[in-house]
Amino acid sequence: MSENKTEAAPRPAKPKRKPKKSQLPVALLVFVLMVVVGILLRSRSSQVSMFWVFGGCFGFILQKARFCFTASMRDPVLTGTTTLTKAVLVAFAVSTIGFAAIKYSAFAGGQPIPGQSFVQPISFATVLGGVLFGIGMVIAGGCASGTLMRVGEGFAVNTLALVFFIIGSLWGAHDMGFWSVNFVANGKKVFLPDVFGWFGAVVFQLLLIFVLYIAADLWERKKLHITDDE
Amino acid sequence: MEEFWKKISKNRYYIQFFKNPFSYVTGAVLLALFNIAIFAYSGNPWGVTGTFANWGAWLYRLFGGNVDKWYYFSSASAQTTLENGFLNNTGSWQNIGIIFGALLATLLASQFKFKKIKSARQIVAAVCGGLLMGYGARLAGGCNIGALFSGIASMSLSGWVFAVSLFAGAFIGSKLLTKFFM
Amino acid sequence: MMAEFELDCLGEVCPVPLVKAQKKIASMAVGDVLTVHIDHSCAMKNIPDWARKEGYNVEVEEVDDGEWDLIIEKNK
Repeated sequence: MSENKTEAAPRPAKPKRKPKKSQLPVALLVFVLMVVVGILLRSRSSQVSMFWVFGGCFGFILQKARFCFTASMRDPVLTGTTTLTKAVLVAFAVSTIGFAAIKYSAFAGGQPIPGQSFVQPISFATVLGGVLFGIGMVIAGGCASGTLMRVGEGFAVNTLALVFFIIGSLWGAHDMGFWSVNFVANGKKVFLPDVFGWFGAVVFQLLLIFVLYIAADLWERKKLHITDDE
Repeated sequence: MEEFWKKISKNRYYIQFFKNPFSYVTGAVLLALFNIAIFAYSGNPWGVTGTFANWGAWLYRLFGGNVDKWYYFSSASAQTTLENGFLNNTGSWQNIGIIFGALLATLLASQFKFKKIKSARQIVAAVCGGLLMGYGARLAGGCNIGALFSGIASMSLSGWVFAVSLFAGAFIGSKLLTKFFM
Repeated sequence: MMAEFELDCLGEVCPVPLVKAQKKIASMAVGDVLTVHIDHSCAMKNIPDWARKEGYNVEVEEVDDGEWDLIIEKNK
């Protein structure tokens, strides 16, 4: 790292830069490639092809918005800003409403509720896993989605992190017998609509998100000393 | 041809949609909508890291290892996924799609650059961080997407417990980062 | 007297550029200007976001493909 201090000097004339070359032709090429892959996958299975499309959309959105779950958890403490924390809460609120609608319509129609494997047992493994993951994502500079997105952006560091992410996953899978028998199996699954009823669960969760949003905003105002008199 | 690209790069709507970043909240709403859409389409919400364990298993097999006796891969559905292979695995294509989607977005903004590793510190950080995330995600049954985003959206208390744990981990991580990795 | 400072954060990964910029700004006097060189696409969003909340003047200049100069004036 170099730090130069130029005392009160006039800003030096900018060095003449070579004109930027547009990357749009390459972008077009990549887009065509993605479409071709999609069509080829369709001949294999339309579901695989559809997941490819969804993945592309997720990656595009993540990069365009520089959406970073790591920053949403890290920045309140480290830098005092909570812009991303608040954005993540918005994502939670919007998705809660959509998920509730899908789940309830299945329930009301007497169908099994979809996606219930994501309602996981709560145990010491959940807490320890969360803490380890939290430490890892801050040090590596990207969570799961963030690491993939930054591989696409051309970061060698995140590519290395992805390799060890995969190794770590395999390691975790290897030890899962121990964790499952001793902890996960004794954990309790809590699906909020079972506790508060469907309507109550949605209201409870949205209220919780609302309170957290305000807390995050007040936290930022306090940390950055933002006042309204300007 | 060069003129043509130059003309496009000055276009108002190109700048609005492809050059300038979206706001964080725009990203949040779009991600939520697409998570709802994939849930409606496939019956399961968005997840990322379960696939990483499968990638690990396939790579391990390439090196002559065998995971069939492992508890994690012993269920019938896990075995079917492994047998069907990488090319038929929806999660794998979704994850690769994320990489390509991000690449496309960067190129469309004409902002792509290979960023080399700068120091040994960064290598240590990436190795440790990657391992911790991989192991942690298996323990908690998911990552910031499957266990946090989709978990909370599924109105599961485990999502909130995971969120609090992540926050605690991020706090410890921040301290480590400023102490050792800066 | 106004002073100018530079911070080379090329190759640094989030949140390092933001934390360094915050530390640097804190050590500067009102009226000083800081230029941060970055090539992390997230930093071109989160540093201006923070600086504008602090009430500083910020200018983002794209100097090359995937490289930016952030010019922050500590005007208060």
